[in-house]
Amino acid sequence: MSTGGFYWIASYPKSGNTWMRLLLASLRNGGNAPDFDRTFGFAPLAGQLGDFEQALDVEPSDLTHEELAELRPDITLLLASDLTEPQFRKVHDCWGRTPSGRMLFPPEATLGALYLVRDPRDVAVSWAHHSSRPIDNAIDFMARASTIAADPTRYGRMAQHLSSWSGHVLSWLEAEPRPLVVRYEDLLADPAAMLARAASHCGLGAEPAAVDAAVASTRFEALREAEAEKGFYNGQTQGQRFFRRGEAGGWRDTLTPVQADRIARDHGTVMERLGYL
Amino acid sequence: MDSADACRSDDRSLYGLRVASEVPAPDLPSWTGDDRAPDLTILLGEAPPLAHAVVDRPLLQIGADGQCRFTVRGVAAYLVSPDGRAIVVAPEGEADRAEVRAFLFGSVLAIVCMRRGLLPLHAACVRIGDKAVAIAGQSGAGKSTLAANLLRRGFPMLADDVTVVDLSAGTPLAMPAFPRVKLWRDAMNRLELPVDGLERARPTLEKYHVPVEEGFCATPTPLAGLVHLEPDPKAPMGLRRLGAMEGLARIGSIVYRQPLMVRLGLRDQQMDQFLRLAAALGGVRALRRPETPAELDAVVPLMSALAS
Repeated sequence: MSTGGFYWIASYPKSGNTWMRLLLASLRNGGNAPDFDRTFGFAPLAGQLGDFEQALDVEPSDLTHEELAELRPDITLLLASDLTEPQFRKVHDCWGRTPSGRMLFPPEATLGALYLVRDPRDVAVSWAHHSSRPIDNAIDFMARASTIAADPTRYGRMAQHLSSWSGHVLSWLEAEPRPLVVRYEDLLADPAAMLARAASHCGLGAEPAAVDAAVASTRFEALREAEAEKGFYNGQTQGQRFFRRGEAGGWRDTLTPVQADRIARDHGTVMERLGYL
Repeated sequence: MDSADACRSDDRSLYGLRVASEVPAPDLPSWTGDDRAPDLTILLGEAPPLAHAVVDRPLLQIGADGQCRFTVRGVAAYLVSPDGRAIVVAPEGEADRAEVRAFLFGSVLAIVCMRRGLLPLHAACVRIGDKAVAIAGQSGAGKSTLAANLLRRGFPMLADDVTVVDLSAGTPLAMPAFPRVKLWRDAMNRLELPVDGLERARPTLEKYHVPVEEGFCATPTPLAGLVHLEPDPKAPMGLRRLGAMEGLARIGSIVYRQPLMVRLGLRDQQMDQFLRLAAALGGVRALRRPETPAELDAVVPLMSALAS
């Protein structure tokens, strides 16, 4: 059996995906500070059009979005069969199936998955900043089941079907195989313990000294300083900082009671399930 | 080919080859060369899956004898003979759709070129003086847009996406492709080109075939430079010569369908041709993609220097 395959680092946007990738990248590098120029070599986005071109010998921009969506599991399987070691990939898509019903993330190519989840009230505030939109608009965005991130008419990446925040969480909670669920709030409260669990789920060694070093080199202040010094572009609107606040519960001083209630109404069932209500 | 076939076929020119095609190919220039037999015959017919494929991938099969089958469901299946002299096209629906040609003149023609010893580059190509310069880059790097901009500044174009190089004569020759540019709607908007009445590459995609009439260079032209376009805003400005290993490291985004060529069993041919090409051109150059009109203006003298 090939030892290659993918670990998916999955999340709704603004839920700690980048932090987790930086933690794991640092851990694999003995706890050294992440190099912002190279970090995304560690866990690049899944579903990039370059993968299609490489694996399918076709110009991906000549294919329709439906064709690309249908071929996506094939790409994943082909890429996995060429791998000789595990590879990490960032995912924002909700877990699901292709138009013809095949699993988008084939279990045969999946070594495991981490699913990061964060209180949707904090997500709403963070997403509003990231994409420079009013908070009410972010709340609408998170409630829509048809939501697609990444403009599918633009070149370079596939449309990412997000679903609503609740739909996204539920899709991954039922993914095959089941992911390790990491709550952003738990990661913040005890990063070393959560990193050790995540690393072990992904077959990575987690020496306590290396875990502590990785946590230290990716503390929020360090990332923020590195962003100020070198810049860090990760899809945010121009002029916005990527590492903004890095807190849990920041929504309390930002959302109006009406906005907070609306999120609780939109997503109450799933929020309860994850301990947010 | 007998005269009855000749009546049914389009007599066209592509990459210096005389192409007799039953698939209507209005975007290819008519053949105006000598009276030779067709170099490449494109027939309509059956293209069933290969029974004993040694390479079997979602869109591509390669048989033990070297025959290739490429297919896009809902568009067409294509069979390429082992010697690269004949293609059979089995369209699903009408044969004269732009999408049938999109894959025919993309991956399928790449197979033909590789089989015939021609090296396809993922590059636009412009003529500067009496020399050609190829502008390579991965999809979305801005090749067509830069070529369209250079065209506006009076430099004729040989190719907008795939530049085929003939290395058989020693001096690399860039072979003319077809007189059109494929552009996304947003690029057309920036160039203030109207989209009305233009053919789309696929019916549901905002990618258009923009004809190039005056500015097309239809003659094979000695290649004087190979520039690799970098869309990275952090890359240094200007043109810089890459070291041999640095140039070679970019083979994957310079050779068109580079993994496909390896799948065809032509890895050694590819390496040999790429190294000979780089040597003949004094190395590969990198160029940060020009983003503004001023940056575009600054590129022109750099390219001219390369061609002189």
